[in-house]
Amino acid sequence: MIFKLTEEQELIVANMREFAQKYVDPIAVEIDEESRHPAEVMEKLAEDGWMGMPYPAEYGGAGLDFLTYAMVIEELSRSCAATGFTVSCHTGLGAGPIFEYGTEEQKQKYLIPLCKGEKLGGFALTEPGAGTDVAAGSTTAVLDGDEYVLNGTKTFISNGPVGDIFIVVAITDKELSAPKGMSAFIVTKDNPGFRVGEIFKKMGIRSSQTSEIILKDCRVPKEDLLGKVGQGFRIAMQSLDNGRIGVASQALGIAQASLDESIKYSKERIQFNKPIARNQAIQWMIADMVTDIAAARFLTYNAAYLKDQGLPYSKEASMAKLFTAETAMRHSSKAVQIHGGYGYIKGFKVERLMRDAKITEIYEGTSEAQRMVIAANVLR
Amino acid sequence: MPRIITCFKWVVDQADIRVVPGTDELSLDRVGYRISEYDRNCLEEGARLKEQYGGEVVGLTVGIPGAKKSIKDALSRGPEKAYFVTDPSFSNLEPGQTAAIMAAAISSQIEYDLIICGEGSGDLYAQQVGPRLAEMLGIPCAVFVNKIEIKEKEAIVECKVEDGVEVLALPLPALITVLPDINTPRVPGLKDTLAAGKKPVEEITLQDLNKSFDPYLETLNVRATSMERTCEKMDAGSEGIAKMVAVLTKAGVIS
Ligand SMILES: Cc1cc2nc3c(=O)[nH]c(=O)nc-3n(C[C@H](O)[C@H](O)[C@H](O)COP(=O)(O)OP(=O)(O)OC[C@H]3O[C@@H](n4cnc5c(N)ncnc54)[C@H](O)[C@@H]3O)c2cc1C
Repeated sequence: MIFKLTEEQELIVANMREFAQKYVDPIAVEIDEESRHPAEVMEKLAEDGWMGMPYPAEYGGAGLDFLTYAMVIEELSRSCAATGFTVSCHTGLGAGPIFEYGTEEQKQKYLIPLCKGEKLGGFALTEPGAGTDVAAGSTTAVLDGDEYVLNGTKTFISNGPVGDIFIVVAITDKELSAPKGMSAFIVTKDNPGFRVGEIFKKMGIRSSQTSEIILKDCRVPKEDLLGKVGQGFRIAMQSLDNGRIGVASQALGIAQASLDESIKYSKERIQFNKPIARNQAIQWMIADMVTDIAAARFLTYNAAYLKDQGLPYSKEASMAKLFTAETAMRHSSKAVQIHGGYGYIKGFKVERLMRDAKITEIYEGTSEAQRMVIAANVLR
Repeated sequence: MPRIITCFKWVVDQADIRVVPGTDELSLDRVGYRISEYDRNCLEEGARLKEQYGGEVVGLTVGIPGAKKSIKDALSRGPEKAYFVTDPSFSNLEPGQTAAIMAAAISSQIEYDLIICGEGSGDLYAQQVGPRLAEMLGIPCAVFVNKIEIKEKEAIVECKVEDGVEVLALPLPALITVLPDINTPRVPGLKDTLAAGKKPVEEITLQDLNKSFDPYLETLNVRATSMERTCEKMDAGSEGIAKMVAVLTKAGVIS
């Protein structure tokens, strides 16, 4: 591995492993079945300093580099991909834009409680009519005195029902062509006119809470405009670049867990008087898994490394997210295959892994959207 | 307020040891290292006592220069400072050597009221370092302790003995070896890990100690044990017992 971890990185990752084994593994099945937000785990994560990893200590963060952050998300997701995503959505998409674009006042007011884990963050971009086509959004924000008045419905918003602070993108200027007319706002659940709509039941990452956010004459103080008027699209796209490293890390955790389970099971399961791992058919599946996971890990760490170096990383983040998500999907399915009928039964981890893997090919830009970004980068 | 020394050892992660196929040799090519499991309880007990009584806790380890990797990990689990007694010759130390090195280091520069060790180490599990160290320092010692309280100049401890619990009062300074069930070690938080990097580490070399620590034993070989199962089945009737005697006699277990 070219990415030789520092002693500190090794220790941090090992501590997250220990944390996940102690607090997450024992409840992972239950929170999946009940679609329950693991508030007790979130509290413990906050207490132990995991909710603001890549942000400076002066804002309540831990001051880690992004690479270490990515490794921690991977490690947490290896136990529970939903919990891993709750943290990465909060950190990358909720707190990230405030750190990158916020004024000092906004950082004091919003970033610090987010980093300390006193508040949970989220990111509300998608609308019923605007998924991949972000610019088709129809939520509006109109200035009225010292406040913007927001109207519209955001959908599929992670942390929606349990979050406190959201980055919301809305149209501030209908005359301009869509991307230029969009602006970003910091909206809290306490702003008048903010309401959580339908809470969705999902195939996977079931303990991550996903809902509509309905903004009806929702009043947002002028000071809570994030960045400049007209910067909304850019803020959203940049935040997604960063968020994609988080999703890649989450997918990596799922893929790694699929491998862990497959190795264990194939050595234990006896058929025809020998462990199934002695069959070449099984060995090849495992060999492909190990190889793809190594490649996915390189892509993911590379994107994080570029970000740490202050170099462009948009294409690399898309490549990492694309490849890692598809690796997680393909190999969680193979892991179920290796487990035979048992893999299809609730309670066996691979059954959950396969359901959890699918979302990584969809959110924060579908695999098709990633291919569009990558192609646009090389065909320009 | 007690000054506590918590002792820890950097050991091979047992799960990584492999037997070379077809032989009884051990392969240590791909082993990882970690703080001995029992010493995690020791570090935790130090941290817990400090929370309860105040005072200060330091960590102490003896090992080859590579064992330095254990120190940040240990410091993230409680101690404010670590003493690292190291020399390239400190590999495969016997318990007697380790205890003598620790005794020399402690006498030369560490002030203390209480020394805590794990009941044994995760690799050798000879359970000797603690009692030997106490003897060398000339202080009282209690082993297999699963509860510690400090009252003024005494440590009141509960030791697990064969058919019950023995409660002892040890005048301080004293040494205690702790059992795994004395506590549940906490998982260090991210901030503990980051703070550990900033805590002082004092390196003590063999030269500083100005002494030699010779082994008593000679290790000829380390081999894997093997257990061969023959799956003989017999019942508890007289025929079964006769069969069992025959089997054991044939195997040379009895004669
Ligand atoms: C569990 C979950 C959590 C989510 N969390 C959040 C969140 O926190 N915040 C947020 O803002 N959003 C969130 N989303 C929304 C998510 O990002 C979108 O679902 C995703 O971007 C796709 O949008 P869509 O569902 O409208 O699909 P569509 O855009 O309608 O896509 C449908 C299909 O068409 C393909 N497609 C679309 N356009 C093209 C094109 N030009 N070329 C080729 N193929 C194309 C897509 O790849 C896809 O296969 C979440 C979604 C889910 C399911």
